[in-house]
Amino acid sequence: MKILVAVKRVADPDNANRIKVSSGGDAIDASGLEWKINPFDEYALEAALRLTENGASPKKREGEVVVVTMAPKEAETTLRSALATGADRAIRVEAGDDDLDGRVVAHALRKLVEEEKPDVVLMGKQTVDGDSNQVGQMLAELLDWPMATFAATLRQEQDGSLLVGREVDGGVLSLRVRPPCLVTVDLRIVSPEGVYSSLTDPSFKYNEGVRFAPLPAIMQAKRKPLTVRPLSELTDVALTTKYTKFELPAKRSAGVKVKDVAELVQKLTEEARVL
Amino acid sequence: MRKLCLGEIEEDLILPFPEISAPEREMLDTVKTSLDQLFESHAADFAEWDRAGEFPESYLDELREFGLFSFVIPEEYGGMGFGSAAYSRALQQVAMYDASTAVTVGAHSSIGMRGLLLFGTEEQRAKYYPKLATGESIAAFCLTEPSSGSDAASIKTRAERQGDHWVLNGEKIWITNGGIADFFTVFAKTGGPEERRNLSAFIVTRDMPGVSVGPHEDKMGIRASSTTTVNFENVRVPAENLLGEEGKGFKIAMHILNSGRTGLGGGCVGGMKRLIALATKQANERVQFGKKISEFGLVKKKVGEMVIDCYAAESVVSMVAGFTDSGHKDYAIEAAISKVFSSEALWRTADEALQIAAGNGYMSEYPYERAMRDSRINRIFEGTNDILRLFIALSAMDDVGQNLKEIAQSVRGVFNDPIKGFGVLSDYALRRATLATGIRREHFQFTKLPEVLKAEQEVFESATRELAEATDRILRKHGKGIIGKQFASARLAEVMIHLFVFASVLSRVTSSIQKHGVNGAQREIQICRAFGFRVRRHMQIFLHEMEENADEDVKGLADHAFELERYQWDTI
Repeated sequence: MKILVAVKRVADPDNANRIKVSSGGDAIDASGLEWKINPFDEYALEAALRLTENGASPKKREGEVVVVTMAPKEAETTLRSALATGADRAIRVEAGDDDLDGRVVAHALRKLVEEEKPDVVLMGKQTVDGDSNQVGQMLAELLDWPMATFAATLRQEQDGSLLVGREVDGGVLSLRVRPPCLVTVDLRIVSPEGVYSSLTDPSFKYNEGVRFAPLPAIMQAKRKPLTVRPLSELTDVALTTKYTKFELPAKRSAGVKVKDVAELVQKLTEEARVL
Repeated sequence: MRKLCLGEIEEDLILPFPEISAPEREMLDTVKTSLDQLFESHAADFAEWDRAGEFPESYLDELREFGLFSFVIPEEYGGMGFGSAAYSRALQQVAMYDASTAVTVGAHSSIGMRGLLLFGTEEQRAKYYPKLATGESIAAFCLTEPSSGSDAASIKTRAERQGDHWVLNGEKIWITNGGIADFFTVFAKTGGPEERRNLSAFIVTRDMPGVSVGPHEDKMGIRASSTTTVNFENVRVPAENLLGEEGKGFKIAMHILNSGRTGLGGGCVGGMKRLIALATKQANERVQFGKKISEFGLVKKKVGEMVIDCYAAESVVSMVAGFTDSGHKDYAIEAAISKVFSSEALWRTADEALQIAAGNGYMSEYPYERAMRDSRINRIFEGTNDILRLFIALSAMDDVGQNLKEIAQSVRGVFNDPIKGFGVLSDYALRRATLATGIRREHFQFTKLPEVLKAEQEVFESATRELAEATDRILRKHGKGIIGKQFASARLAEVMIHLFVFASVLSRVTSSIQKHGVNGAQREIQICRAFGFRVRRHMQIFLHEMEENADEDVKGLADHAFELERYQWDTI
């Protein structure tokens, strides 16, 4: 099976409090931010690796995993990390964050999918910076492929179709999709029993979370192919999202402790004026 | 840098601050992420393994598989091919999680197999590198013996040549990785009669008959790392396992230790970074007298000093790693300084972090007491800090002494060769005049430091002048007798240590200002200023105590106690 995984690097959410807005409010000041792979995309990569191996012998890849990102050169670190954990090949589409919105990304990915002809496209359900949650759905529509979003479990069946478990209110919704198809993943996909390829024994359990690259694999990753494509080769659609202003959320002021319910009610009535 | 005692500032050596190359930085970034994931998965285990006093075999297998033993082995042999700077940084990341792991990995890469890296033949490398890279073979450095610690030249292990073999006999103690190693770099005496024997280095492997190791030592800290005795009883070592030249073992041992120092330094910096994270969190959470204790001045002082120490240690370790990586040959003093400073900075940091946590800090439930136990060894192994202090002072004074000898000789020769004599004399006179008057000329001042560091630059320059004058005076006073004047030497070493560390800080802050501007480097400028005050304080103490001190009283009291072998007084 060939899987294309779309990833984005985002400002490290653990250091999100360092985000600054430029003085005019027209942009986010990215200086001093640490970058890392969008967590949901990292889970998608892990899911792709699990789908293309026998869990008991994860060093042997059955099929091909291609990672793609759209970003400046610095993001190649992210791609190399993905290659080190097991992906076979990487593509970087040369683009700045200002050149992209969900629609542009979806159109560019469509062209790449047509060229690469993967069986499955995997990506995170959304990125943790823009949080727009659009690209997967738009891409499936553009490709006219079946799609399953927010996957919490993935099982590859003997006939090659994927049984996708989606956590919905009140239970789990199961969808069977037949490749070629697109799946976006949620965080529980990387639980020990999140993903099973048809090769992995049903009694096998993965370690919780994503795998990490041992040092020899990091060295090998330096020699794995990484191609760079200009954005203009893939799409010419224009940006449709325009940002008018950025502002930081208001600082939260310290809370107060109340003695009893009476005081609470009094404060809610007189100070907060919500009662 | 040894020219500091001559009053010279080797600016080209110090500037620009060495940087890790972009491709190496990119790789380190990935390595760091992976190391974090590996060690976070064991976060709860380290304390338990410390109590148990050893690592489970499965953990060592995990380290092997992860490739932790491959850091410094060249790429073509399956290693990471890290230079000193990258290696030091990687080891820092290991030490942020567990000192026992850092020591296990460090003893392998910094010293255990470093002889092979520096002096190995092509055949030796081809034979041992692949297994050392995978950790199938873990390496250990075997120098210390029951009766020879700091005095390495006095070892008793003997290697006798018999045909195409050497026969090795002797006992080594406190060998890190002894219990898990398969590859030993062993130092033994070779050659004819006792007084003419010299040290030679050998590669010995565990499978050679006659190699045995003692039980796992029960230690104060780094408890999960393996420390054992290693015995050699009629071990037949093939002639081709001689490492480097026969009889050059002492130099080889010193070269290995010098070259490995940035590993230890990196480990110390990692330990400090972890402690600063722990202590600041603790101080922000702990409330006393209705305030977070991080709001109190004395807690701020501790944390501020920790930050200065950590930055300074990181700078000097990076500087020495830069010397190594750029092929600079003569950096033994600087390497020694980086080891002394970083190991003591870590000790101070561990001590103060524990003090901030106070009662909690003393409890084994918290990480501070283990950090303190783990830190202590760094001031002892790979050359005790006391011996290194004497080494730093005496090597530098040797240079000044050579200079003085030149004067002495030229004065004698003045009548035979007046022109030559005059040349040397006038050069010396000029140097003296410069020192005395403070009139600047080349090599006596920095020319490339930014304006904003003007005051710090002056602190450095005047301290250098004072150091040179003082060295001159010490040597004139004691002559050759300086060898026995350890009090004076240690004082001199203290100033040299602080000056070289200060030079590293100045260099790093200069780079930072160039990159981020004065505003962007504001905090680092503060560190530089604070460190400048430390330098001045040490200088003042040094200058004062050189003239006036209680050395003779202190020595007399020590001799008195040695005679009684106890403390004399009581109040009943």
